[in-house]
Amino acid sequence: MTPEERRQLWQHMRTPVISLGLLMALLAINVILGATLPFHGVWMLEAAVVLCMVLVVLFLSMDVSHEAPLIRVFSMLGFFWVLILFTMTLTDYLAR
Amino acid sequence: MSPSDAVMRDPGTARPTIDRPADYLHEEHTLRSWFFSTDHKRIGLLYLASITFFFVLGAIAACLVRLALIVPDGTIFSSDTYNKLFTMHGVIMIWFFLIPSIPATFGNFLLPLMIGAKDVAFPHLNLASFYIFITGALFTLITLVIGGVDTGWTFYAPFSTTFSNTYVIPALIGVIIVGFSSILTGLNFVVTIHKMRCPGMTWFRMPIFVWTLYATSLIFLLATPVITIALILLVMERAFGIGVFDPRLGGDPVLFEHLFWFYSHPAVYIMVLPGMGVITELVAAFSQKKVFGYRFVAYASIALASVTFLVWGHHMFVNGESQLAATVYSLLSFAVAVPSAVKVYNWTATIHKGSIHLDTPMLYAMGYIGLFVLGGLTGLFLATLAIDAHLHDTYFVVAHFHYIMVGGTMLAFLGGLHYWWPKFTGRMYPEAFGRVGAGLIFIGFNVTFFPQFILGYLGMPRRYHVYPPEFQLLNIMSSAGATILAAGYFFPMVYLIWSLWYGKKAPANPWNAKGLEWTTSSPPPTHNFLNTPLVDFEPYGYENKAPEIG
Amino acid sequence: MAEAVLVGIERAEHFESIDQQREAASLGMWAWLLTELLLFSGLFLIALILRIQHPAAVTLATTHLKFWIGAANTAVLICSSFTMSGAIGLSRLGWQRGMVGCMLATATLGTLFLGLKGFEYYQDYAEHMMRFLGQPYALAADQATRLFIDVYFITTALHGLHLITGVSILLVLTVMAGRPNFLAQHQNRIEIYGLYWHFIDLIWIIVFPVLYVLNR
Repeated sequence: MTPEERRQLWQHMRTPVISLGLLMALLAINVILGATLPFHGVWMLEAAVVLCMVLVVLFLSMDVSHEAPLIRVFSMLGFFWVLILFTMTLTDYLAR
Repeated sequence: MSPSDAVMRDPGTARPTIDRPADYLHEEHTLRSWFFSTDHKRIGLLYLASITFFFVLGAIAACLVRLALIVPDGTIFSSDTYNKLFTMHGVIMIWFFLIPSIPATFGNFLLPLMIGAKDVAFPHLNLASFYIFITGALFTLITLVIGGVDTGWTFYAPFSTTFSNTYVIPALIGVIIVGFSSILTGLNFVVTIHKMRCPGMTWFRMPIFVWTLYATSLIFLLATPVITIALILLVMERAFGIGVFDPRLGGDPVLFEHLFWFYSHPAVYIMVLPGMGVITELVAAFSQKKVFGYRFVAYASIALASVTFLVWGHHMFVNGESQLAATVYSLLSFAVAVPSAVKVYNWTATIHKGSIHLDTPMLYAMGYIGLFVLGGLTGLFLATLAIDAHLHDTYFVVAHFHYIMVGGTMLAFLGGLHYWWPKFTGRMYPEAFGRVGAGLIFIGFNVTFFPQFILGYLGMPRRYHVYPPEFQLLNIMSSAGATILAAGYFFPMVYLIWSLWYGKKAPANPWNAKGLEWTTSSPPPTHNFLNTPLVDFEPYGYENKAPEIG
Repeated sequence: MAEAVLVGIERAEHFESIDQQREAASLGMWAWLLTELLLFSGLFLIALILRIQHPAAVTLATTHLKFWIGAANTAVLICSSFTMSGAIGLSRLGWQRGMVGCMLATATLGTLFLGLKGFEYYQDYAEHMMRFLGQPYALAADQATRLFIDVYFITTALHGLHLITGVSILLVLTVMAGRPNFLAQHQNRIEIYGLYWHFIDLIWIIVFPVLYVLNR
């Protein structure tokens, strides 16, 4: 591989490498938390870590931030609708 | 009129046209060219034939139900048979007729035409959608033939998972599969509308029908997967004993209902929205007037597709959900009536002081407006918690949704079918027969379903095989109406087919209507337009002049 | 790797431009992914409701799930996402052989996931978690645990089904992508497929904590 090719390769692989690193680190945090269960409400922290992992996949791996506004809307739309499903169902189950 | 039109006017001539491309109907005649066509117009017609077949099946089931209800003691059919009849009626009419009706037939045919495109974004996917529909349909037909299913179209657990002795699993598989067909159609339409509009066709220059197709397609995408997983869970529980709804283990059947209705309420808007789009087109064309409040109608369509997702719990008011949830759902159900009302006002304002032509499509449109208002208002009754406690699971509910589905969507479908028939087939239908058919359907419909409001108010439960004898008169009236309604449906089936061979040849724009579909020939060429349209005009560009007198 | 090939997209007949075609494909895939998210969300909702209704049973059930296999599988899928990103990057550069190598690596990692999953199911069977097969149930003292265990089976099986489908399509795509002229005509297929693969990963990234971690 020539130095020019090496540079080109790194340009394309920089974001995926960062993604990989972040996701593995976040996974490690959740695995350690899950295995050791340090405090009572640890599930909240674990959930936050999951949220971070999802955001990394969306914004780094799937490159949503560089996409057209229309794609960005569609990528968020599904999550928003899941929120509707959860929230409205919880008005039943949390108030019984 | 080009010379080749003279050639075309003689039905006996088989010569191809000389100076323009053959239209999509006549270009190729082989079976292969029809059943493997990626042309959105041919696919639309394939759907039309399929849904008509299923409509007939569903209508037969309905006729048998009405037959059974002539007597109060349930002697005509056994209870089991009766349960199967109303279940098959519901399953077939909802998933194999109403949901695909306007989107898959008119939507497929007209969407690219209306936005000046050559085809949808993914033509092969479109064909795949059709065959997925057929596969789901086959499962349902098999269910019907081997003995039917008796759970009601709502498939509530634990009856469907544990106690029913009928063929629940093939029925569920049929519905799951047909759901994929609708998801893919919705996907195709969304991408088509975003990406395939011709130069100059901005969002606010599109016909309202396209707006409603867009809103419907969003619902297809967002709602259908949830019922898919709900029904998969039913199959898993019934077939393998792997499940979450069994109360004996601590499971909650109401959880199934949440997942089921998260889709099924928006599903009724899948059935309603395209019909509203059709009515907007009809009302504008037959008043020769632009749509009043176009932007409001467009936004109302999107509002309906959004707010509809917030109200599903109104189907579960008496099924055990919390008081808080019930109250929230009730309030939101009142809210969702508002965009529908906006549309109704805009239709009437469009008609007002228009140059009204009472052709068959307009008769259907006007029938729609009246019946939809009745159906919609009775929905508000049902959204009121205290009233619903009495009316839930009575014939009031049955009448309510039939007013909207039949009095509404079915009339819109028939109106649109007549309106666009010249465009689809190149033939005019016989107008006199059209009007008679519309009249019969309107009368038959009201005689069938208005008594059911009264029956429900008096307390007759739905899905019951037997009823108190004092309700018999109203039931007989309803069944008599069903006979008139059936005769009414029979009319268009006969004369529309007749018109394919003997109807007058249609010009490109028989109604003097605005819209890109009317600028191309009837029927259109395979690639829709000879030249890509360039749009620099507003939609519904009718001249608002006062109608002539004398 | 050093011999880059021409990269481009061949326009299909009904599209006016290549940009239109590419954007349509991307929007179409995102619309599809939206439906996949909602499909799995039904199961996530059930897991949540079960937690609310039967907290002790759900915790008990969770402790019988194979936490370390689940964690390992998550790492495997994250790596497979990385190799898929590699395939996309190399497709943009026109390095066809490297791209094919990355695609094969992705398929291999996906298969590894399935293998680990199969081993996990075998362990579940050995530990009497599969009541539906008629065997005696290890947690029969608390019947409500069956609800959560069944959600575990259905969710992981559904995800596994998506993975099998994904790997199969990937292998077909790899064969096609290895042919000459593929990258000149269909480069964006790699990108569109990559979106799907990342999403399979994303779903699992949610599945693993929801089933194995949050309820411990």
